[in-house]
Amino acid sequence: MANLNTKFLVVDDFSTMRRIVRNLLKELGYTNVDEAEDGAVGLSKLKGGGFEFVVSDWNMPNMDGLTMLQQIRADPELKHLPVLMVTAEAKKENIIAAAQAGANGYVVKPFTAATLDEKLSKIFEKLEKAGA
Amino acid sequence: MSMLQEEVSTTLYFDRTFDCNAAKISPGEYYYTDQDMVIVTVLGSCVSACIRDSVTGIGGMNHFMLPDSAAADKDSPVSESMRYGTYAMEVLINQLLRNGARRENLEAKIFGGGNVLKSFTTMNVGDRNAIFVRKFLKEERIRVISEDLLDIYPRKVYYFPKTGRVLVKKLKNMHNDTLVQREEAYASKLKVADVGGEIDLF
Repeated sequence: MANLNTKFLVVDDFSTMRRIVRNLLKELGYTNVDEAEDGAVGLSKLKGGGFEFVVSDWNMPNMDGLTMLQQIRADPELKHLPVLMVTAEAKKENIIAAAQAGANGYVVKPFTAATLDEKLSKIFEKLEKAGA
Repeated sequence: MSMLQEEVSTTLYFDRTFDCNAAKISPGEYYYTDQDMVIVTVLGSCVSACIRDSVTGIGGMNHFMLPDSAAADKDSPVSESMRYGTYAMEVLINQLLRNGARRENLEAKIFGGGNVLKSFTTMNVGDRNAIFVRKFLKEERIRVISEDLLDIYPRKVYYFPKTGRVLVKKLKNMHNDTLVQREEAYASKLKVADVGGEIDLF
């Protein structure tokens, strides 16, 4: 069972999309959610500590989601954080790049609450197994 | 799972009236360019956002409608229609940003949302589309410098991204029902397709 107190960071340059993801998470029972409008802000919030899960867009100004993911994986303090990419980029090379950079999951917009739920559960399940 | 993705229009031609290259977009498509050309579409209850960087002149247009989500779901910020509409706007804006546009320079002109589909008995689809696009741009703080929305007529829209100029022709006499058929086909495609995508690789 996933912990409903898990602290999420939602990174997306569209406030409309951040609200959608936040509300979907709320529907799934996760209410401990913070937001960032690009990868640079996201990374600095993550470095501040306390986050347990990252849901990130790809295409953003300043620092995109892939670069943020790479920086997370390169940071000894953050590298174990689960990162779910939620993006409008549906090309094979994008998905492969995300996988290679160490994304834990990939959801293509426009997505459903069911899809998000399924991806989250899958990631939590894998983490639990890895931790057990 | 079938996925409904917004596609870049591939209908390109030379427009003799304006003496320049032209791209024609259909429902569910978008087009963007940094060239001196015209983007053309015909809107019924669908809406188009014409968005450009006012400094560099790169700009584009989309053409979409919100899927008709279940009544209970309609006003929810996470409804299928909100997610799809947000996605349709994001795809265009992302392309502009990726090609050098800056968010703070973006300006929009919005069109469509006419009440032309008589077969829709629930809340007017055109109204929903118009309300959505206005609200989205307001929340994203993208300036709307002109709009021609609602009413009962289809519109033909010509957009010149380089200069930002728009010509709108209200089609008060329709010679056939091609437009209505095309929109109804698009609406039912939105209904059938899962508006949501997932990829399993991990």
